[in-house]
Amino acid sequence: MNNKEFVIILCNGSSCLKNKSNDIKNELIKQLEKNNLLSKVEIHLSGCLGMCAKGPIMIINPGYVIYGNLKVENIETIVQRHLIKRELISEFIIKEDHLFNRFFRIFGDVNFFGRQMRITLRNCGIINPESIDDYLSVRGYEALAKVLNEMTPAQVIEEVKKSGLRGRGGGGFPTGKKWELTAKVEAKEKYVICNADEGDPGAFMDRSAIEGDPHTILEGMIIGGYAIGSQKGIIYIRAEYPLAIKRLEKAINDARAEGFLGNNILGSNFSFDIEIRLGAGAFVCGEETALIHSIEGYRGMPRPRPPYPAQSGLFEKPTLINNVETWANIPVIILEGADWFSSIGTEKSKGTKVFALAGNVVNTGLIEVPMGITLRQIIYEIGGGIPNNKKFKAVQTGGPSGGCLPEQYLDTPVDYESLIKAGSIMGSGGMIVMDENTCMVNIAKFFLEFTQNESCGKCTPCREGTKRMLEILERITEGKGEVGDIEKLERLGNMIKKASLCGLGQSAPNPVLSTIKNFREEYEEHIKDRKCRAGVCQRLLRYIITDKCIGCGLCKKVCPVKAITGEPKSIHKIDETKCIKCGLCYSKCKFSAIKKD
Amino acid sequence: MATPLEIIKQKRAQAVKRIIEKGYLSRFRIYVGMATCEIAAGSADVLTVFKEAIEKGILKDVYLSQKGCAGRCNLEPTIEIIEEGKIPVKYGKITPERAKEIINRHLLKGEIIKEWIIN
Repeated sequence: MNNKEFVIILCNGSSCLKNKSNDIKNELIKQLEKNNLLSKVEIHLSGCLGMCAKGPIMIINPGYVIYGNLKVENIETIVQRHLIKRELISEFIIKEDHLFNRFFRIFGDVNFFGRQMRITLRNCGIINPESIDDYLSVRGYEALAKVLNEMTPAQVIEEVKKSGLRGRGGGGFPTGKKWELTAKVEAKEKYVICNADEGDPGAFMDRSAIEGDPHTILEGMIIGGYAIGSQKGIIYIRAEYPLAIKRLEKAINDARAEGFLGNNILGSNFSFDIEIRLGAGAFVCGEETALIHSIEGYRGMPRPRPPYPAQSGLFEKPTLINNVETWANIPVIILEGADWFSSIGTEKSKGTKVFALAGNVVNTGLIEVPMGITLRQIIYEIGGGIPNNKKFKAVQTGGPSGGCLPEQYLDTPVDYESLIKAGSIMGSGGMIVMDENTCMVNIAKFFLEFTQNESCGKCTPCREGTKRMLEILERITEGKGEVGDIEKLERLGNMIKKASLCGLGQSAPNPVLSTIKNFREEYEEHIKDRKCRAGVCQRLLRYIITDKCIGCGLCKKVCPVKAITGEPKSIHKIDETKCIKCGLCYSKCKFSAIKKD
Repeated sequence: MATPLEIIKQKRAQAVKRIIEKGYLSRFRIYVGMATCEIAAGSADVLTVFKEAIEKGILKDVYLSQKGCAGRCNLEPTIEIIEEGKIPVKYGKITPERAKEIINRHLLKGEIIKEWIIN
C-alpha cells in the first residue's frame, strides 16, 4: 500500500500544452512542496482527455473531479481548498462533461459506449452500489443539499418543468407538471412512490439501475418529497428482484444513518423517510392505480381515472408516482441545471432513455442513449448489427404494449412522438431485435399470451377480448386459420384498445395490430397457404425425406405415430396425414436426409 | 449552524477519507461486476478468486470492489482493472480460471491479456 492520498491527472494533449499545462504542472509541484504535500500526491500526465475547449484539464482522484479552464494562479486555490480542506471548487468544475467523464474515463475507449450518454446510469458500473461512501464521493446527495440550501419547493418544480423531463415508465407525461399538480393539492399527508414494478418480458432497466446505483433513486425521491410537501416515500418493487431489494434496504439504512432520511434532513426543517413494499410480480401492478391498490393491501386492479393519484392516490391522499428512471434523472437536473438537461434530446423529448437491447443483435446489453438517436444507430452502431449475417426483419419497442417496426422505420428517431407515429411506443425501454428467422405471427402470439395471462380480469374487453384474439392466433399458427381471421383480429384489437379500463388492455393488441399492419402477407401465408416462411410454426411445417436417405430405418423407429414407411436400404416416406410435425425424425436423421419445407 | 451544503461537503470529505483508508489509492483497483445478471453468469466465483488471493497475500497493493452492471450483457462476467494514469483495462467473459490467470499475468507481471479485453 502506498500512502498517497490523491492522484492528480494533468492533460498533456497538444491543445492543453498550448494553454500552458506545463506551467500548471510546475506550479502544482511548487505548491505541493510548499505545503509539504508532495509525498501524499501522485501526479500523472495523460494524453488528450478530449475536453480541449475547456483545457487545461486536471482530474483529481478519488472522486474523478475534473477541473478545467485552469490558470497558473488557480493552482494555489486547488491545493489549499481541494487537497488541504478537501472541498470541491465549483467554479473550476467542468459542468458539461464531468458527469459522463467519470463513466467514460473507464469505458470511453470501447465502441459500444461511444454513442451513448450516461445520465441515469452515470454511476452504474463504476461505483460500489453497496457503499454510501462511494456515492458521496461522486457528488452524491449534493443535489439534495443544494435543494435544501437554496431552493424553495416551487423553484424545484420549476426547474424540473423547465428541464422538459417526461415520465420514463412509458407514458411520457411531463414530470414537472405531475409534480406541480401534486404540490398544488392541499393536504396534511402526501405520498411519493417509486414504481419499480418492471415486468416487460426481456426488460431489466430498472433492476440494473437499482442494483448499480440505489442512492440516486433515493436522492431523487427525497427531492420529490421536498418539492410536493410529502414526508413519506414508498418504493414498490417486485419480490423477484432480491438483490435489488437487498441493495435498496442497505441504501435506505445507510442514508438514515447519515441523516439523508429521517427527521430534519441535513439540519433543515424537512423530514422524509422511505420504505419498501414488495409486489408479487403481477404485470398490471405497473399501472399506477393498480400499484396503489396493491400497496393498500387490496388486489392489484386498476380503477378509472380521474381522480388521478395527484388528487387522490395512496390511502386517498395526493400521491406523486414516478418510475425508477424518472427519479434517477432528478439529481442530475438539479446539479447540472434544467438548461443543460434540455440541451440534450429533441424538441419534445429531452434527455436520455435507457433501453435493454436484446434479441438477434451482436451486442446485447443495457444502453442509455440521447433522445433523437435513430433505431438504425442503436441496432447497427451500438448493437453491432445482426449476428450470423442474417437479415434484419423488425424491431420491437415498448414490450408487450408496443409494436414491431420493419426496416423502413429504421431511421425513425427515438422520441415519444416519432415512435407513436411509426406505430409503436417508447414504453419503459425493452427493445427486441428480430432477424429473418422470426415468425411475426408467432411473436404477436407470444406477446399476447403474456398480456392475456397478466390481464387482471376486471374489465370485459381485456379479459375476454384478449382471450378471443389469442384463440384466433393459436388457430392460425396451427394451420387452422380461416379467411376473415385477420379482419376479426383487427376489429377485436381496436375494440379492446378503445374500451379497456387501463393501459394494459389499451395497449395489449398493439403487437398484433402492428404486425398485421407491417407483415400482413405473413398472416395471409399462414392462413391461405398454411405456410410459415420463417419455419417457426411447427404445425405448418412439412417434413420430406430426400434421396439422401440410405434407408437405415432410424426415423421409422423414432416416429411416435408410425407415419414413416419404407423397406430397409430404400428411400423412406412420410405419410402427411399421419404426421404430427414433432420434428423427431428430422433431429435424429444422421444423414441430413430429411428436409423442412 | 452549518448549512446543508456545508454538511454535505464535510460528509463527502469524510467519505473520501474512508475510501482512501480502505486502500483506494493502491496500485491496482479491481472492480468485479456483481449485478443479478453478472452473478448469474458466474461473477461471484470470480470475486472469490480475487478475495482469496488478497487474503493469502498473493495480491498486494490492490483495492477490490464490486460494481453494478455497465451493460455488457453478452460479455459477462466483466471486470475492470484500473491503474492510475493508465488506460483502464476491461476484461469480459471471466471465469475463475481466467481470474487466476489475470492475477498471475496482469496483476503480478504487468502483462495485459489482449484476448480477453473488451473493445
